[in-house]
Amino acid sequence: MKNLRVIFTGLLVSVSISMASGQQLPVNYGNIPDELVAFDKYQKAYKYHFIEPMEFYGAGRELPFPTDLKEVRIGFLGPLEGSIISNLGQQMLQGSVLAIEEANKKGGYKGIPFKLMIHNDVGLWGAAANELVKMDDEGVWAWLGSIDDIVSHVAIRATLKLEIPNINTGDPDPTFTETNIPWVLRTIPDDRQSSYALVDKIFVKDKHTRVAVIRANNRYGRVGILHFNRTSTRIGYPLIIEERFMDNETDFRPQLNRIKKTSPDAIQIWGNAKESALILQQIRELGMNQPVYASDRVVSKEFLEIAGSLAENIITTCQYNPEANDPKLKAFKANYVKRFGQEPDVFAAHAYDGMNIIIEAIRKAGLNRVLIRDLLTDLKTFQGYQGVTGPIHFDGTWNNIRPIFMAQVKNGKFEFYPAPAYQKDNTIYKKTSMGY
Amino acid sequence: MKRIFSNKLFRYSLLVLIIAGAGVLGLSKSRKPNSGAMKPKKAEMADFSTIESREKEARPGNISEGIPIYGNWKTFTEKDGLPSDKCYAVRIDKERNRVLVGTHHGLAVYQDGKWTTYTKEDGLAHNGIVSIDISVLTGDVWIGTLGGLNRWSGGKFETFTQFNSGMPNDLVYNVFCYGKDVWCATGGGAGHYDTQTRQWEIFTEMNAPMHEPWTYALSAGDGKVWIAAWGGGVIEYNTVTKQFRDYVDPDGFMEIDLQPDDGVVHDITTATSYSDGILWISSYFGMSRYDGKNWKGYFDHDSGIASNFINFLRAERNVVFVCCDEGLSCTDGTTWVTYHKFDNSTDGKAIVKEGNTLIKEVPLSPSISHNFIIGVDAEDDVLWVATSKGVCRGELLN
Repeated sequence: MKNLRVIFTGLLVSVSISMASGQQLPVNYGNIPDELVAFDKYQKAYKYHFIEPMEFYGAGRELPFPTDLKEVRIGFLGPLEGSIISNLGQQMLQGSVLAIEEANKKGGYKGIPFKLMIHNDVGLWGAAANELVKMDDEGVWAWLGSIDDIVSHVAIRATLKLEIPNINTGDPDPTFTETNIPWVLRTIPDDRQSSYALVDKIFVKDKHTRVAVIRANNRYGRVGILHFNRTSTRIGYPLIIEERFMDNETDFRPQLNRIKKTSPDAIQIWGNAKESALILQQIRELGMNQPVYASDRVVSKEFLEIAGSLAENIITTCQYNPEANDPKLKAFKANYVKRFGQEPDVFAAHAYDGMNIIIEAIRKAGLNRVLIRDLLTDLKTFQGYQGVTGPIHFDGTWNNIRPIFMAQVKNGKFEFYPAPAYQKDNTIYKKTSMGY
Repeated sequence: MKRIFSNKLFRYSLLVLIIAGAGVLGLSKSRKPNSGAMKPKKAEMADFSTIESREKEARPGNISEGIPIYGNWKTFTEKDGLPSDKCYAVRIDKERNRVLVGTHHGLAVYQDGKWTTYTKEDGLAHNGIVSIDISVLTGDVWIGTLGGLNRWSGGKFETFTQFNSGMPNDLVYNVFCYGKDVWCATGGGAGHYDTQTRQWEIFTEMNAPMHEPWTYALSAGDGKVWIAAWGGGVIEYNTVTKQFRDYVDPDGFMEIDLQPDDGVVHDITTATSYSDGILWISSYFGMSRYDGKNWKGYFDHDSGIASNFINFLRAERNVVFVCCDEGLSCTDGTTWVTYHKFDNSTDGKAIVKEGNTLIKEVPLSPSISHNFIIGVDAEDDVLWVATSKGVCRGELLN
């Protein structure tokens, strides 16, 4: 009877499970910790996306290489004029220019020089789409850019239509590569990785429970904070207040006074360097002495200059270690300072790596956009690529999910250390077998 | 036996089985496409009988019952006179007995067995032609290009751009004529041009429920316009009440579809098409069908669809033609016919499925010109398909 009971019970359970007809999840997409997989505590999803890389099934591989070119054109799209982040765009441009100049000193593409076709992404609504059309008319073989999420999204939809390979080196919006476009790669780790690291640091390691957020009221702030918010909520610490500010705003006291009334034990800022520094100043002016954490854009000279001594002990993330003891990085920094008279920032370093990848792909694949795309996305040729920003580990959406770094201001300078692995909480992790 | 029922594990398992059984029954019921169709409420209705009847009169077709199967495919490429093999759009101009094809290097017109090409030199805003529609009221041809919108009327091209008109952006991904209005979807918002008042009305994140003004395609019917708003799902605009409604994936996560048939399969939408009271929505993650009450989702693992990456779709009568990156599919929501060309051959096959169950395969020699499908149009007994490698024409077999 005992055996019958075991067989019968096992049969019932197995029948219940086999009724599920959805997909099994082989690995978590995007380095998502087990306990943070969406709804996984309650049921399996009917369909999991981004597990397998997309293929491009269109024509074009058969097109012959042109034989009459005087230059091999590569596009650049960035905020160069008329934007509040044009300083970031200039750094991105300079990193790209340095890579092009070095490649041309080494013979370009079979003796033909590479030429950067530079486009500003700020203008009329949807300007990025129009700039991509211009790049297509110019005959670029691939392009690099941009930083602002709105620009990047508009541009990649055009790049899909026009079939031009793109490497993004500056936009950390997680949804950028979640569009399933098989022409787009990103080498800068995204805000999903930053959010996991910050949540782990703030709530798990530093034991805060009541965290307030003040963030930019733009797409960078809205999408950037998304996974931070979801993650903190999932582990049991919903944000107690989320305040917003506009670009170029200078007085944040109304928002900060509302935050003060909630008596948070830590504050997270998500915005550009200038506004973040001003917010930090006004937090302290209002007598709020809570630990302050920030988003990655504070890792800049501008933030340190404006915030001054108040920046001490501020903690954030950084997509790479700018102080790594790496000869390749040191050479890049030295050459960059020599060429442009300033230190490279995160956008310059990632653009340098991104442009070098494009150059190498063109050299290996030849002058055919589809073949260049195939090489960039094969998850072999550039998987593990060692750039000045560190290694590249593409996931199924060609998003670089390598480990990121924490950054903390010590003695007026940022110090960097690897972000600890996300600490698994077994009281939260209860994977279910219910669902599809 | 009594001991079995007193066992906690057994009782739990039995409960699970009952719940799962009920769930599966419910799901299987809900996953059948509802035969009902969208019926606008009386208060929302204006007199669209004129628009709708003239649309139907102009494009009567004969796709009525069953799923059509097309064969005797003929392919046209640069060798046959097309300006480019990369074809973005195709539209049948029944009134003038011609076919218009949008290519990367110009507008190609097929008439009397010959191709004629029109480019910027003839007055087009750009040589990249990505969308074409024809006004049934005026017969004017509206052309969405990579660099502006053109009206082709009386043998002349009139150009609309951001600078000389109120249109939202110069890259016009989709153009759709609805009554006197010409609707456009662009990366800078959607909008419509009133051909009588000559005024543009633009919808962006400032005056419509979109996070961003990224729009990719649109369609209209029964007084409503459905905008495929890229990461914003579908925006429904009621032209009578001037009110919006948005449809997004209810689970709110980009990386999953939690429940089947609970809404649009993904927020990244690429096209909408409305016919016979059914709204069809494509994405790069599968397809959705909405009858105004129930949603039905279709993926390549649970239906006969060629693939989940869908560039475009067009509904005609009770069926929809789905332009996938691995073939062309046609379905009424239950029965599927998918056209697939073999590698390194001009031959291929039509795969007929009920749901995801194979019914038969019909050899095609020759087959469609390429499996990467970008545009489609059906009329009477013919189907025209724009692909990554030429445009092709099929004839109705059944």
